[in-house]
Amino acid sequence: MATKTKTQKNSRLKPTVKSASSNGRPGNGRPAGKAPAIRVNQYGIPDWRLEQPEFEVIEVTDGPEVHYEIKGELSTPVPPIRESKYLTKDQHLELYRWMVMNRRMEVALENLYKQSKVVGGVYFGLGQEACSCASAYALGPDDWFAPMIRNQGAQLVRGFHARDIMMQYMAKAGSPTHGKDGTSHYGDIEKRHMVSPISMLGDLLPVMAGVSLGARLQGKELACLTWIGDGGQSTGVSYEGINFAAVRKLGLVLIIESNLWAYSTPMEYQVNVKDLANRAIGYGMPGVIIDGTDACQVYDATYEAVERAHRGEGPTMIEAKLMRMKGHAIHDAAAYVPKEMHEFWRKRDCIDRFQKYLLEKKWLTPAQDKEMIAGIEKEIDAEREFAENSPMPEGHTAAEGVFCEDGCHTIKPKYGIPKKAKRSEGTLKETEAAIHFK
Amino acid sequence: MAQATYLEAIRQGLWEEMESDPSVFCIGEDIGIYGGAFKVTDGFVHHFGTQRVIDTPIAESAIVGAAFGAALTGLRPVAEFQFMDFIGCAFNQIVNMVAKSHYRWGAPAPLVLRGPCGGGVHGGPFHSQNPEMHFVHTPGMKVVAPATPSDAKGLIKSAIRDNNPVLFLEHKFLYRRIKEEVPDSDYAVPIGKARVHREGRDLSIITYAAMVHTAQEAADILAKEGIELEIIDLRTLCPLDREAITQTVKKTNKVILLHEDTKTGGLAGELAAIINEEAFDDLDGPIVRITALDTPVPFSPPLEHFFLPKVEDVVREARKLHKY
Repeated sequence: MATKTKTQKNSRLKPTVKSASSNGRPGNGRPAGKAPAIRVNQYGIPDWRLEQPEFEVIEVTDGPEVHYEIKGELSTPVPPIRESKYLTKDQHLELYRWMVMNRRMEVALENLYKQSKVVGGVYFGLGQEACSCASAYALGPDDWFAPMIRNQGAQLVRGFHARDIMMQYMAKAGSPTHGKDGTSHYGDIEKRHMVSPISMLGDLLPVMAGVSLGARLQGKELACLTWIGDGGQSTGVSYEGINFAAVRKLGLVLIIESNLWAYSTPMEYQVNVKDLANRAIGYGMPGVIIDGTDACQVYDATYEAVERAHRGEGPTMIEAKLMRMKGHAIHDAAAYVPKEMHEFWRKRDCIDRFQKYLLEKKWLTPAQDKEMIAGIEKEIDAEREFAENSPMPEGHTAAEGVFCEDGCHTIKPKYGIPKKAKRSEGTLKETEAAIHFK
Repeated sequence: MAQATYLEAIRQGLWEEMESDPSVFCIGEDIGIYGGAFKVTDGFVHHFGTQRVIDTPIAESAIVGAAFGAALTGLRPVAEFQFMDFIGCAFNQIVNMVAKSHYRWGAPAPLVLRGPCGGGVHGGPFHSQNPEMHFVHTPGMKVVAPATPSDAKGLIKSAIRDNNPVLFLEHKFLYRRIKEEVPDSDYAVPIGKARVHREGRDLSIITYAAMVHTAQEAADILAKEGIELEIIDLRTLCPLDREAITQTVKKTNKVILLHEDTKTGGLAGELAAIINEEAFDDLDGPIVRITALDTPVPFSPPLEHFFLPKVEDVVREARKLHKY
């Protein structure tokens, strides 16, 4: 047994290039040959993007003023969408709908904030909808996920309603946490398998590895998807979590959203590497770089990582390149972002490009598009009305729920422990150890 | 009934729970083939297999995080800290992820964080600490600190069966120093209940863990002088057994609060506040605190000896309070 594990570990040391090519699953009957060949970066990490923008943000001191400037080629044409190997036509349309729903819901949140109906701030994933929705859309029905603050779209895809998120922001009694916490800080371990994030970054990584471990002990290989930013991955616990997942070949599917700004700090001042996916080599796991504004790339890369997880082959690191298109939260106007940088990424808007792609393929007509958007608006209106009508929680409920007691939960293995042959009868023996601490 | 050391009793409790409940598993550093730094899990991997006795990288946040993740799937992980001093490395994971989970989003975290704490073994500043108060002060955590083999066995079982995160503090000074008859049968000691370790009429000492034995030694000396100490072993530090605390004060009207943890912000302050709230009128003397110094735990034996509360400190303070 031990020898076998060892062999697998060694064979895992050079898996990166292979993993990023097709995993052999037929792409829903459509030929997969049209897309350009996949480039590999200088460290052998596959880069699925159809453009490799070359620019850099630098700190400039100009007399008493210090600001950021961007240097590089910003006038390159917007790349096309890479053909998906796996998505069907209907899935493209459904995914597009989720992305639009994600954005429209956040517009509704912004409006609620402006009407002073939100308690605290609002966080947006503008420009990151493909990264949130297409990845969550690639999960299997039993898989788990843990969103970061900008992955509100993933929550919609996985079965939460806009009202849940709205009520969280409005601190309502009807919110998933009954007002105990706000924003995306909620979850569901019963049905939708969402682990609640906390404000501290990176702590979800070992937790999602642990979910995969717990399921494995019950005979089930799960994919456990979570995201982290180029900023968040700087934390020490990120290393601990990723490394543990790699060592134990757990089903962690990690999307590093390199959205170029960690609050106000540009990626250049966060890490000294151009591609964070390179770090996959150091962990001994496959890594891949994708265009985070291309829904098809996000879906395909996540899909392959999920498949790997289901096969028990271990974690995958996907670096999605994109930009956070609003400030850290609603209070932050992001004035530190150079205008031409914002403009560059605005042209690469994930929804505009996906919409254009679907229209050009004639999978969607402008009339159908308009109708779909109107339907979403109507749905969001109803969701908002529901959320607004939810009462605020009663003050005294603040005292409840610290402990799980009086039968409030029944705890049992979710997937059932498989019956195993009994191991040899062992007994406890007297022991001697740690002599110097006796 | 058979004789067992404090360490042996913990092993037995853990072993029996793993035998009876397949959802219990162990995770930690060097706990598998090596059997743990103190050999609490010696032989476990051979009996229960590598899936249920999991060696991890040296990464305390990963240990706690992974235990929590597995708990979300309905398992009951028991995570070992090689030394409790290293719990600081996992502080955020415990305090912000695990402890708040049920309150914030209704997800129970039925996991046990266990390992050796405490001084008296010349372990120095990083192998001797008593970290209980960080977690007594964290809503959502239960904190348990047994003083005897029987309680150690009964409480590890209760900790594993509890639906909440439980910090299980094993005093390493006691590991192989104390031995007693421990029930073989399936029994458990409830969390949240203190125990009268010694009955006495003159004054009360409220204490826990290794200091129970320090108090006992002092009581033996004082008994010869006709001073009868009542010793309350708290066993659980959070939630506290307020009733037991109040009851003994109402009985003896004089109280010494004793712990090995440092003084400022130590449990004694909280106990004094509870006594003030519940039994102020019953006091016939000042509440006395005997604790370690407000310093890191020093390494050199004479320094550590000076740092720790001693039998003679208890005897001296008890005589003084008795006369008051």
